Amino acid sequence: MTATRLAAPAGCALDRSQHLSFQFNGCTLQGYAGDTLASALLANDVQLIGRSFKLHRPRGIMSCGVEEPTGLVDLGEGAKRTPNMRATLLELYDGLVASSVNCWPSVGFDIGAVNNRFASLLPAGFYYKTFKWPSWHLFEPAIRRMAGLGKSSGQRDPDRYEEAAGRADVLVIGGGLAGLSAAVAAAEAGADTLLLASGATLGGALAWRTDTQVAELIGRAKRSGMRWMTRTLAFGIYDHNLVCARETLHQPGAPLAARGVLRERLWKIRARAVVAAAGAFERPMIFPNNDRPGVMLAGAADRYAHAFGVACGERVVIAANSDSAYHVAASLRAAGMNVIAVVDRRPQVDIGAARSVPVRTFVNAGIAKVDGARAVRSCTVIAADSDGARPQRLECDLILSAGGHAPAVHFHSQAGGKLRWLEESAMFVPDGAAPGLWSVGACAGVFARDTVVEHAMQLGAALATGRAVPAAVAGGAGRSLAATHVSGVPGKQFVDLQNDVAVGDIGLAAQENYRSVEHLKRYTTTGMGTDQGKTSNVNALVSMGEFTGREPAAVGTTKFRPPFAPITLGVIAGRRVGALYRPLKRLPAHTWHQAHGAAFEQFGNWLRPAAYPLPGESLESSARREVIAVRKAAGLLDGSPLGKLEIFGPDAAHFLDLMYVGTMSNLSMGQARYGLLLNENGIVVDDGIVARLGPQQYWVNTTSAGVERTAAAFEEWLQCEFTTLRVLVTPVTSRWGNVTVAGPRAWDWLASVGFDPALAPSSMGHMTLRDSLLQGIPVRVLRASFSGELGYEINVPADQAGALLERLWARAGDFTAALYGIEALEIMRTEKGFIHIGTDTDGTTLPQDIGFARALERKAANFVGRRSLLRPAALDPNRLQLVALSPLDRSTVLPVGAQIARGAPPTQTEGHVTSSYWSPELGRPVALGLLAGGSRRLGEKIRIHHLGSVIEAEVVKAPFIDPSGERLRA
Amino acid sequence: MHNLHAGQWAIDAEGLSVSVDLAVLTASLRYFDAQGGFAALVCEAVGAPLPQALRAVRAESVTKHVLTLVWRSPTETLLLCEDPHAFAQLQQRLAAGEDGCMVDQSGGIRVLRVRGTRTEDLLARLGANSVAPQLGEARTGRLAELPVTAVRTQADEVLLLIERVYADHLLEWIAVTAGDF
Repeated sequence: MTATRLAAPAGCALDRSQHLSFQFNGCTLQGYAGDTLASALLANDVQLIGRSFKLHRPRGIMSCGVEEPTGLVDLGEGAKRTPNMRATLLELYDGLVASSVNCWPSVGFDIGAVNNRFASLLPAGFYYKTFKWPSWHLFEPAIRRMAGLGKSSGQRDPDRYEEAAGRADVLVIGGGLAGLSAAVAAAEAGADTLLLASGATLGGALAWRTDTQVAELIGRAKRSGMRWMTRTLAFGIYDHNLVCARETLHQPGAPLAARGVLRERLWKIRARAVVAAAGAFERPMIFPNNDRPGVMLAGAADRYAHAFGVACGERVVIAANSDSAYHVAASLRAAGMNVIAVVDRRPQVDIGAARSVPVRTFVNAGIAKVDGARAVRSCTVIAADSDGARPQRLECDLILSAGGHAPAVHFHSQAGGKLRWLEESAMFVPDGAAPGLWSVGACAGVFARDTVVEHAMQLGAALATGRAVPAAVAGGAGRSLAATHVSGVPGKQFVDLQNDVAVGDIGLAAQENYRSVEHLKRYTTTGMGTDQGKTSNVNALVSMGEFTGREPAAVGTTKFRPPFAPITLGVIAGRRVGALYRPLKRLPAHTWHQAHGAAFEQFGNWLRPAAYPLPGESLESSARREVIAVRKAAGLLDGSPLGKLEIFGPDAAHFLDLMYVGTMSNLSMGQARYGLLLNENGIVVDDGIVARLGPQQYWVNTTSAGVERTAAAFEEWLQCEFTTLRVLVTPVTSRWGNVTVAGPRAWDWLASVGFDPALAPSSMGHMTLRDSLLQGIPVRVLRASFSGELGYEINVPADQAGALLERLWARAGDFTAALYGIEALEIMRTEKGFIHIGTDTDGTTLPQDIGFARALERKAANFVGRRSLLRPAALDPNRLQLVALSPLDRSTVLPVGAQIARGAPPTQTEGHVTSSYWSPELGRPVALGLLAGGSRRLGEKIRIHHLGSVIEAEVVKAPFIDPSGERLRA
Repeated sequence: MHNLHAGQWAIDAEGLSVSVDLAVLTASLRYFDAQGGFAALVCEAVGAPLPQALRAVRAESVTKHVLTLVWRSPTETLLLCEDPHAFAQLQQRLAAGEDGCMVDQSGGIRVLRVRGTRTEDLLARLGANSVAPQLGEARTGRLAELPVTAVRTQADEVLLLIERVYADHLLEWIAVTAGDF
């Protein structure tokens, strides 16, 4: 192929006064403003664009749009490089840098091309049956290296992406004649109408022609007040008419974006009605070596000629199966190109266009051979039937495919619509409308221009006014045959150019009894990849039908799924990168902890201090130091994440009795009690402390991670089951900060900063709550302890949490007190044998498994989960039960998650270690675990297996320290 | 990340101003019946009935202070008040209610004031599909991955109400979005 620029008026999309310089594979080339990268490459006679996925065959530009299977490039350099961009869609800009994909050392001399020599070893599904001996893993790295397309940069993307939401009464996908007609009609009828156009301008496939009807529609669109967005590709329709679209704000890799720019925006648009006007794709013809650079779609060549002023070849042969071939032949000749022949696969051709185009026509014929390795030099034409004329060789450098059309039914299918086969034009078209979505124009199978406009206008107006929507009448595409290839000729005839799937591969799949088109897709990979088979799907299923003796309608299509075209991962992530990756809850006094050396970690969506390491201290040693400080003197913990609920109502007491294993109704004012929360299956789902604030008012502490689900569970029970109870549940976790002071000198410390003497241990017992004031600030003080020491949980208005911490910390030196974090707290609660829900329990744990059998016996009243505790499985004595564990060597910290088993694994396990730490208080490890029948195995020696080693341990009595509870009740 | 403790947080971009109002006191008014005794008590104290579903009202209290009532659910209305004295008075008066209660949420809910011609644009780019409120509306939805109540009781201002623990995340999202305006 020898491509050249055509003189004006060809090239109406170009601004020839603006020269642009760009690089492809290191060569500097020239183009014009208005060019795509594909048109500019073709204009520079660059035919070889890249190498194919599997066989590394040379590939060029095939199409002019989103369906492009082969013209893929890596765009940009360094961190800005974006792989597998379709050259057909990339608007050229000055300084653009692109390179070929899947080739080494160069696209011209590619070592991987050796694959093509051994193509017979690489048929469809080869990896399922070859390269198995001695091991697939031996070959896998090399095969993976040889396969694939472009490569990502591997660096952090410097660009930014965002998400936006939109709404419309009528949303139109597609800015061509049909889409514009529907949108203008809807807008003129008063609907809030939004149109999405993937191209830079409105007009779709007609944008490159001087089309008065399109111009008039654009004028009406402006006057009607409708909104439209260009460079916005709708890629998916989801439930309830949610359409997702990608708006391109900056071309990837553009030099002005050196520091990173807002590159793309993901639109999520809700619409009352969606109109799909996505057009159609041309179907390629199938013949030997139909993948050579220089073989392309006829409509694409026509568009390159007229829109971009590029003659893609000097001597053109059109391989046809459709009436459209003759229209293209006439159009190309009008542009000054030399069309030497039309090779029509159909046995009869009887249309006016064919007669009017003075071009040599081969009827009932096909291309049997294409000469040329990296470009087309000639082709050989044979009769389709065996007794035809002898083969004829045609000197040509451009072979165009005109195999009919395939409507872009993707959105219709995504929305749940059915398809039907239109025999006359050999295409699948929508069978009626899909829920909430109507198709117009070519994607509805409507090709006759007047019919397209009339139908789209009626439909747009009907959607706006709520009238009955007119049905699309498919037709106008002319006659096409389903089959596009000539059988019995040698050579690889490609069905799917992106995945190197040939007719022979389809035959092999059929021979191996793959019948479902979905199985065919997965076995051969046809229809996969970046183009998702936009040019190959129909040919593949027609071939499948031929091999299995079925009509295309009986073969059916694969399900069309989003995205319609590739989108970047960046636009899906949007702003959710770096610090915004996920919402993390912050402590009211976050900055105070930062200033005091906190090492933050995530605990249940909270960012909390794990410890406060001193210089040179590890997290572990810091936690041990903090434990010693609390045990010997006092410590300060920010417990703000502790879940807090206020329960109000005349039935609050009864409700809490129903929700908790413990009885809460008999709490007196200011008294608090520990409670376990179960679900209806009796499984322990949360725990906490309930305190009574007033006759019909309670304060509920939940676990830090469990407050949302506890509040939701309370609401669910109130709204769905206990509907007669008058109870209000109000979450107040954010309202209150929580500063916990623990240790034998805790009260002394609090007293030193002015806390009310009425809160002293002598006046305020363990598990009681008092409202008080500190310097006029309301505080809600709970005497409770998760550390095992004398403890005060001081709830303070969140805005005052930092001030209280500072006030206490200023006196810390007087008491040799320390800040302590979650790690120290975990050590201390394990020493005390206190459970941590979710760590020491799992989705099977019942209250009796963690030592609450007596509490169950004591409670006569009903509560959620009670009945499930009486099931036989719940009464099994060999259930997993919580035990304390101690290694026999008194030095090895048992690994959390290590399995308890009598024999070496693999074997039946008896349980596992749930919590395990080195106790600085005891100078030896302490651990908790779930063990089958654990409550009856006190003193038993067990074996703990971890990564091939065995640790011997003993089931011991909990807690490890202060068994009488003297310290916490001090 | 922005942190409110570091000082007053604000963004001033072309056509957009966002600030955090730390002075606003908030409370949940909880009741069993929006037409019941507690609701009547609120109406008497606030000078306006509880708002209808998805509505918000500005009212002048008997102490002549401007209050904002924001519908949150069939059993909850959020009260916003800038005057601590008026807020305390309300607490006292509503404490008498037997079929409802006032739960102080001050400091637990952050109030962001969004003003300017690009308010709608900002809300759309925070992901507001159904959140953007009309005058007199209160809508709760997902903004910046978070549950946010958006309230418009004045034509030129939208209030965003966000739980304090997530406020920094929302502010950061707004900051980077406004940075691309």
